[in-house]
Parts: sequence; structure tokens; C-alpha cells
Amino acid sequence: MSETQTRPANTREYRNGKSRRVNVARQRKLQRLKEVAKEFAEHRAAMVALVFLLVISLIAVFAPLIAPESMLNVTKLLDVPHFAPPSWEHPFGTDHQGREIWVRMVWGARTSLVVGLAATAMSMIIGTVVGLAAGHFTGLAGGIIMRVVDFFLVLPSLILAIVLSSVLSRGVLTIVIAIGVTSWAGTARVVRSQTLSVASRTYVERAEVLGGGHWHIISKHLLPAVMPLVLANTTLTVGSAIIAESTLAFLGLGDTTQQSWGTVLKNAMDVSAATSGYWWYIMIPGIAIVMVVLACTLVGRAFESITNPMLRRN
Amino acid sequence: MSTDVIPPGKAAIAEQQDEGRESHRQSFLGYLLAKIGGAAISLVMVVILGFFAFRILPGDPVRKIAQSRPMTAEQIAQLRHQYGLDQPMLAQFWNYLTNIATGNFGESYVYGKPVSELIAQYFWPTIALTGTSAILAITLGLWMGQLAAWRSNSPYDQVATGTSLVLWSVPTFWLALLLLMIFGGTLHWFPTGGMVSTGIPTGTPEYFLNVLWHLVLPVITMVAVVYAQYLLVMRASLLEEMSADYLTTARAKGLTEDLVRRRHAVPNALLPTVTLVFMHIGGLIGGAVTVETVFSWPGLGKLTYEAISGPDTPLLQGTFVVFSAIIIVMNLFADLLYRQLDPRVRRA
Amino acid sequence: MPDLVFDNISIVYSRRSRTGTTPVKAVSNVSLTLPAGGTLGIAGESGSGKSTLAMSVLRLLPKSATITGRILYGDQDIQDLSFGQLRTVRWAEAAVVFQGAMHALNPVRTVGWQILEALELHVKERWATREARVARMKDLLAMVDLPTDKSEAYPHELSGGQKQRVMVAMALACEPDVIIADEPTTALDVIVQEQVLNVLHSLVTERGISLLMISHDLSALATICDRIAVMKDGVVREVGDAVSICTAATDPYTRKLAQAFPVIGDPASRLKPQSKPIWEVAADGGTDGLEQTNSDPHEVVLEARGVSVNFRSHGRTVHAVRSVDLTCHRAEITALVGQSGSGKTTLARTILGLQEPNAGGQVLFRGEPLKLTKRGLREYRRNVQLVFQDQFAALNPKVSVYESISEGLRIRKYDGDEYAKVCESLEACEMSPASEYLDVLPQELSGGQRQRVVIAGALAIEPSALIADEPVASLDASVRGELLGLFLALKRRMGMTALVITHDLGLAWNIADTVAVMYNGEIVERGTVEKVLLDPQHEYTKKLLHATPKIPTLA
Repeated sequence: MSETQTRPANTREYRNGKSRRVNVARQRKLQRLKEVAKEFAEHRAAMVALVFLLVISLIAVFAPLIAPESMLNVTKLLDVPHFAPPSWEHPFGTDHQGREIWVRMVWGARTSLVVGLAATAMSMIIGTVVGLAAGHFTGLAGGIIMRVVDFFLVLPSLILAIVLSSVLSRGVLTIVIAIGVTSWAGTARVVRSQTLSVASRTYVERAEVLGGGHWHIISKHLLPAVMPLVLANTTLTVGSAIIAESTLAFLGLGDTTQQSWGTVLKNAMDVSAATSGYWWYIMIPGIAIVMVVLACTLVGRAFESITNPMLRRN
Repeated sequence: MSTDVIPPGKAAIAEQQDEGRESHRQSFLGYLLAKIGGAAISLVMVVILGFFAFRILPGDPVRKIAQSRPMTAEQIAQLRHQYGLDQPMLAQFWNYLTNIATGNFGESYVYGKPVSELIAQYFWPTIALTGTSAILAITLGLWMGQLAAWRSNSPYDQVATGTSLVLWSVPTFWLALLLLMIFGGTLHWFPTGGMVSTGIPTGTPEYFLNVLWHLVLPVITMVAVVYAQYLLVMRASLLEEMSADYLTTARAKGLTEDLVRRRHAVPNALLPTVTLVFMHIGGLIGGAVTVETVFSWPGLGKLTYEAISGPDTPLLQGTFVVFSAIIIVMNLFADLLYRQLDPRVRRA
Repeated sequence: MPDLVFDNISIVYSRRSRTGTTPVKAVSNVSLTLPAGGTLGIAGESGSGKSTLAMSVLRLLPKSATITGRILYGDQDIQDLSFGQLRTVRWAEAAVVFQGAMHALNPVRTVGWQILEALELHVKERWATREARVARMKDLLAMVDLPTDKSEAYPHELSGGQKQRVMVAMALACEPDVIIADEPTTALDVIVQEQVLNVLHSLVTERGISLLMISHDLSALATICDRIAVMKDGVVREVGDAVSICTAATDPYTRKLAQAFPVIGDPASRLKPQSKPIWEVAADGGTDGLEQTNSDPHEVVLEARGVSVNFRSHGRTVHAVRSVDLTCHRAEITALVGQSGSGKTTLARTILGLQEPNAGGQVLFRGEPLKLTKRGLREYRRNVQLVFQDQFAALNPKVSVYESISEGLRIRKYDGDEYAKVCESLEACEMSPASEYLDVLPQELSGGQRQRVVIAGALAIEPSALIADEPVASLDASVRGELLGLFLALKRRMGMTALVITHDLGLAWNIADTVAVMYNGEIVERGTVEKVLLDPQHEYTKKLLHATPKIPTLA
């Protein structure tokens, strides 16, 4: 601590001082990360949810090892009973073509998670950029951006997603785009209000008076301030994106060549499973969706409750 | 000790407001016109989006039709001509605009009827379903939400919040299938689909009761999913309001906790809630598509599903515009309601 | 009418954290008496526990607070009351004047409704009917000099002073025996403050109501209260009658508090804010700042020529600043004094280029007109920097002191030794050794230290003038003097030119060379501090001087 009692004129000491400070900054970040992890561990339900999500992710990644793709090949399943209720032989029952529901679930997890994550990433990026712009820029530009956000906010996102996915060619990418493009407005709104509250703080005006331009203010002050909020929002959005994916698949807009939990439910409805007593055909994919989405919600809310007081303290 | 700290930018504005107080109560008419203008712009944006989504994006509507049935090149060309697709884009856009202005959404490929006629026919069942669901969900959600916040961390709060989180995570269409399976398919308490049983004369009380009976399962489905969102929103905004200074004033006056909540906290917490509740109306409408599909409820949602399966572009375009218009009108409504609730907007 | 007695009161908050609940002591072993019909003031800075003590009277503290000791109202211990009994005591026997200028009124109810609510809850014979209650509500508004049609107004339609008067009217509604006033005039301008204090004082004395008043401002307390208790860190440091607390305090902290606000006209405080020995160091530095440059010592650094600013607000034009001329000379501190709404902040923003003046007006820097282009402003702000009022918000909470100070250097791509420059600026602001502060986050600094960091950040880019907007308004009184001393030191050591915007005439007396008084967008009087403050010519200046609360003197 005493090294700067006299002013460090030569560069060696200057560098020492600088690298030491970089270390301090890194330590502080690490410390904060540890605090967040510790606080997160306090939320028991969220911890269980996180572990559950990790397990599901592993299943999705190793699907080909757990259940070889041939198990889905209808032509090889001629001797398997159709609509077999759950039993030791068929743990989750079979579908109308004799496929094991559990195999379809394992493969469906891939589509559901991939679409959920990709659509969320897209929605978060658009939402953050637009929200920052709407909060930072004033005058005509800000007004127009706000008008657009408001417009997308009230538009029925599912219907717009239906329109997009029925117009574009079928495929996983289409579903991702349809969900990503229609679900960013909520994020933009949250980011915008946070940006506005940060932008009204004096330190942003101070940066402006010091000579900082738009880029400096956005990258150095506004973005770091909204990031925790965006991250907490991300997990919540993954949940709703998974629901949206299954809904589109259920409406027959999914990629018919890929397994998805929504597709399983669509098949179930097409064979009138609800009124014919094939309860496992409906229960199993539904419960899977609810559990994954609930897990995302719990994790997201835990993050939110950790970051929120932080935002307030700031 | 807190000191009134106003950053310079705001202080300048505050100074102006200090002088300008009271003299500028915006007239109701001016507010109404501004909001109607905003809604009109949104409507125009929807209409434009409706055109470009279907024409500019890849995926020729005629080619889509051609995929589903075998056609010769001449037939395709004739179809293109019939739907005006061989004209230049700008002319198509102009036709589209003038048609929509006169209520003409084109002719459905699947039904072979004008889209506007179909929409008129399917409009009211949807309004009945979503309207009933919205009213029930809002009442239930706000009431339970404010109780949950006021008794935050009590067993009631934990149950209410926990249930809401689970319901929030349920896909609407799956809940519909589940209820259909349990109460329709297995227990036979309620019908498995449609709006009214066959052979009942329209207009009689019996008809009305029969429709209600058909309405029960779809409404329960929609209410269950949506009220959960409203509960969470109301709970959060009341919690936010709980530390407000004016509540201490109310307590110091000698009000019971019950009155502090009803007279002071809730009216303020309603303000952000109203905005969010109406913003989620879009979600409710989206839910109508799958619920109507599962319960074969003859509404715009089911029509949309059939338009997707077609694919029936004019019909899809029509339902998209009408759904969006409903939501824009609802939000206009919300703005007017908000003005009634918040004096700061009423007399800004 | 009973006495109110605090008998050995301690209040502990249990703060919940990860490691369990930790007790935080807010008030320790306080014993005070408010005799019937008497007035007692409690003075203290933030965190002294004075508000906690006041709120304990009506049991308005959050559930996490535990009170030990007795709060006697007559011979009844408030803590033994059932909730029903407590509710009848609330407002009917003891009422509170909250800091109403902030958020103590419900924003969605009219003020008349809120006063009526209190009357309905505590119906007495005199206001048993609805008509009688409405009549009384109107009487109450008239009593605090508000027109009766204000009963239909919502809080956001009233000014800070009016809201505060509504709070006073509401407190008087049910004819209480005791009124507790919690910072009743904080955030109000001196003239409004004087009005509110007068209303409060006359109503309380006329009716023989006991008054317990809480404030951070000793001089405001001294104008109303017979007795004053000084609190610090939850402990009563000294109790006594108002005059002796202000003039003959035995406790060093009380003395410091009493001396924080200067007596205008007292030579002992002229160009000498009460301060640490830094002051002497600065005095040694003498005029070397002036010698460094061989420019004319009377050079005009900043000038506003015929500046007017209009705002369009709801379709009406507001003249915030009306053809103002102002000059700031080199190495001089100019104080721009005025109430809120006088246009002083708008003028400062215009001089800084954050606000465009009307056509015809000009802001000049060293004789060169200011160009409001992006580049012109950038260049200009290398020379003219701003010090903010709210030092808590002026630093990014996530960024260390080093990064905050080097921010300006990096924006301007400073090519010298950044580290050395940062240390130099910090030390110029009397934060030494600088190295101990570099890695510190703003939240770990006190208010005064944060303001020093803000100033250091401005100094790093070597401006020739500083514009300071209420630089000490949100600092505790005991820190105020030290920070004002810094401004004087910067002027003497570096030849810094400064324009200080303030509502506080005492500040001008403490540090300024010249003063300009602003009223309704115009500068009504201007000149050297001695001339303007000791021999005011304009009515408004006289009014302002008169309204400034004074520490009573023995003489």
C-alpha cells in the first residue's frame, strides 16, 4: 500500500500498480460470483430445479446412446403393440405406431431444449439492443423505437409466430425465428425501464459532461447495469420459449421430421387420445413440459430475487 | 434523514412544473384523440405487416396450395391470376389496402366463402369464450394476488404463489387435453367439444344453458393459465407498494390494517397492474387458438387452426388482422381505464 | 394534558442476512421528557436514530424493531396498549407531520379526502356530521393559509411547501395533544421553510400543543423549540435549552454542528468555512496558482450575455431565464443564489451547454462564443467541468475510484501517465495517500469522500473552471465545512474559477468572492459578497436574508 506514497514516475511502478488493480477487479468479480452462488444455494427449490435441468440436458445430449435412433423407425416395429399402456415392458407405454413413448421423449428433449435456448438467445439479443436504444436515445428516434416496442408488446405473439412459421419453410430454424422474433418485446420493455432509471442517475450525466459519447455511455454504464436483469430474464424466457415451441408443434407447424414433445401431443390429439383412454399418451409429454418449464421458472425467479436487491442497492 | 435530491436535468423540469401546475389539465377529448390516433397507427402497422408477412417473405401461397394437390402449370397460372398474384407488388398492396378498407379479406381457399363472412360467423363465440375467461381471470387473479402480497410468506401466500407458478408453466393446450380427458372422456361430466348439442332450438333458455355447459371446460382451461399470471403481477406490484411512505401516514392516522390495504395500498398497486394485465390480453387470445382447437369451439381460434392446416392464406391473414385489432382495441380501453385510476394522468 | 416521557429507551433492529439475524442498535438508553405544552427538538445527522425514536411513540416502526424501556404518555406506557387502544391514540391524541414534500401523501386521493379520512376515523362531537367534517376540513386548510379549493387537488398538483402545509393541517385535524414533526422542512426553500415553521409554531403555541420536532438543521430547530437534544449514533449527546445548545455547548460534536452554519456578517466565518487544518495548508499555497500562468488575473473566464431560456410546457411557454448577464473572473468563486424555480439550475445548464439559450443570448468562454456542436461542446468541456449535487448518484456504483477518475482521461485519450494523473488529482482533493483509495468502490466511501472523488474526476482533465450545483446540499453538516474548504483551496492553489449554484446564503458568505441573486429568471442583484449580503438593495435579497434561520447568539 505504501508504494505510491511518492508518486510513481517510472513506468515499471505504473505497470505494477495497474496489474495489481486488474487483479483486485478480478477478485471482486469472483467474490461477487461466489456471493451469488451462495445466495442461490439458499433457494432450495431452485437448486433442485437446476439439477433437474442439468440431468435433462445430459439426456438430450446423449440421446443417441440412451436410445438408438432405430427405435423410432416405424418399419422395424411391426410386432410391437400399438397403444400399449405403461408396463414393465413398455415403461411409458407406446404410441399409435408402436413407438416407445420414452424414446420419443428422450429425442424430443433435444428439439425442445435447442429451440428453447436458441429462440431465447435471439429474443434476448433483440430485446436488449432495442430496449437500450429506446431508453438511451431521446427525441424522435427514441419515440419511434418505443412505438415499435409497444406495437410488438400488444401483438398476440403466438398468432404472429403462427403466421411466420406457416409462411416460412418448415424446419427447426423457422420455429426458432418465429419465437425469437415475436417474444423480444417483453425483454425490451424491462430493459428500457431499467435503462431509463440508470440513465437518469447523475453518473451518466457526469460521463456525458466528461466528454463520453453514446457508445461510451451505453457500453460502460448502461449495458453493465442491465445485464443482471437480462440474465435473470433469460431463464424465464427459456421456459416460455419451450411452451411456445410445443404449442407450434401441437398446431402442426413444427418440423415433422424431428421428434418434439409438442409433436407427440399433436399425434395424441390426432388419434383422439383424450376421449379414447390413452392417458399416458397425453400425461407423459405434458408432465415433461411442465416440469422443465417450472424448473426454468424457479431458477429464473431465484436469480431475479438475488439480482433485484442488487439493482436496488445500486 | 433523506434529502430531496434532484439531478440537474430533472430539477430544471421540476422548476417548470412548479410554475406550470394546475393550469394544464389535459382535456379528456385531447387524451382520447391522442390514444385513438396511437391505436390507429398500430392498426395500420398490423395491416401492413399482414400484407408483407404473406407476400414478401419466401413461400408463395399458390405454391403452398400446389403442394397439397396436384396441379398443372396452367392451373397454377390461373390461380395466380385469380388471386391477383401476377400483378406488380405495389398494385397488389393497393388492392389489398382498398379491399381491407371495405372489409374484403378475400376468399378462403378451403371454405370457398368470403373470409369476412367466416369471421363474422365465428367472431361472437370467441368473444364469449375469451371475454368470460378474461373477466373471471382478472377478478380472481387480482383478488388473490393482493391477499398474497399483504400476507406475504404466510402459508396462504406460499400455496397461492406455488400454484400460480405451476399453472404458469403449463402449456394451455395440454391443460385443455387433460381436462377433456378427465371430465369429458372419462367422467363424462361435460361435453367433449362443440358449442351446443344438436337439436336444441336457438334462442330458448335451454339453448343458453346448453352453451354454458359447453363453455365450462374451455373457460376453466383459459382462466387457470391466465389468472396465475395476473396473481403474480398483482402480488409483485403490491409488494413494491408496501414500503411506501403514505402507508405509514395512513397507519399513523389510526386506520386498521384492512383499511390501509383497501383504501391506500391497493388503489396504487392497481396502476402498474392494469397496464400489465391488458398487455397480457394477447396471451389470452393466443390461448384461444389451442383451446378452441382442442374443444372444437367454433371460434376464430379454430378457424385459425383450420387456416394453418389448409394452408389457407387469406383466412389466416384475416384472422391475424382481426385478432390484432381486438387486442389493439382492448389496449385503447386499458389506456382510458388507466386515466380514470390515476389522477396524475388525468390531470397532467 | 399529559407529558410524553422516553424512559431509558433502546431500539434494536434485527437485520436478516445469510448468516442469520444480526441486531443493529439504532437507539441506546435515551431518556427525554416532552412536558405538556412544551417544545422539544431532536437534532442529529443521518443514522443518529432520531427518526426511529420519534416513530416509536406511535409504534410505527417495522416489525423488525424491538423497543426496550418505557414510552410514557401520562402514566400509560404506549407499549402496553392493545392495537385497538393504540388506534384511538393515533392521530386523536398524537399526530405526525411527515416529510410531506416527499411521499407521505397518497398520490391517488385528493388532499381533502385524506384530511376527511382522519376526521371520520376519530369522530368527535364537533364534527359528527358529514357537513361539519367538510366544513372543518376547509377551516383546517384556511388555518395553514391554503385556499379551500385546494381540497380538490391531488398531491402532485401542489408544490412542496403546499404539501407540507397540508400535512400540518392534517396533523391538526383531530385536535391532538402532541404533534411529532419529522423533518418538516427538509427539501424546502428557505422562504417556504420560514412560512411552514411560522405556521407550525403559531398553531402549536396558540393551542398549547406539545411539539416534538426532528431535524438535521440546528438553526431550524432553534427558531421553534425551547429545548434541544442532540443525538449521534443512537445516543443523546447533550440536552439543554435551545440557546445554550447553540452557543455554549459543552459537547464537541454539538459545537461542531452549531458552527457548521455561518452567521452572515460574522467576520470569523468569512472566507473561512469551519474546517480541518487543510485550510492552513491551502493558505500557504498562496497565489502560486495565479503565478503559474502569466495571464491577466482579472480575465473573464466564463460569461453569459443576454441569455434567455424558454421552455414549451403543455403548450405554454415558460420563461425560465430572462436576459441574464453573468461573468466569472479568473480565480474567483461566484455564488449564484436563488430558490428552486428561480431558474438558477437552468442557467447553469445553459452555461454548461446542456441547454440551448434563445436566439440572441450567448455563452462565452475566454471571450469565445460557445459552439453547441458535438465537437465544440467536447472541446469546451475540457475546460469547464461540473460538480454534481447528488454525490451518491454521481459515481457508478460498480466502478472503483480509479476507474471513475480515469474515465475522463480515457475518453479524451490522455497520452501521459494515467496512474500518476489519477493520484495527483486525488491528492489535490485532499485524499491522501491516494493509493489507499484507488480500488475502493463508491459505497465504501462517505458522502464527503464521494464528492471529493467527483471533483478529482473533473480536475483530472485539467479544466480551468468548475460549475458546482449545490455541492454540499446533501452532505451532513459536519462535513460541509471541509468540502467548502476544498473549493477555497483549489482556488488559491490552482487558480480555479468556480461558479457555485446554491440556495444557501451562508455558503456564499463562507467561500464566494462575488454573488448573484436570482429571482424569477432574472438576476436581481449582484456584486461582492460583502456588499450584497451586508447591504442588500433588492427586496428579494432582503427577504431571503431575513428568512435564513439563524443560530441564536448570546449578544
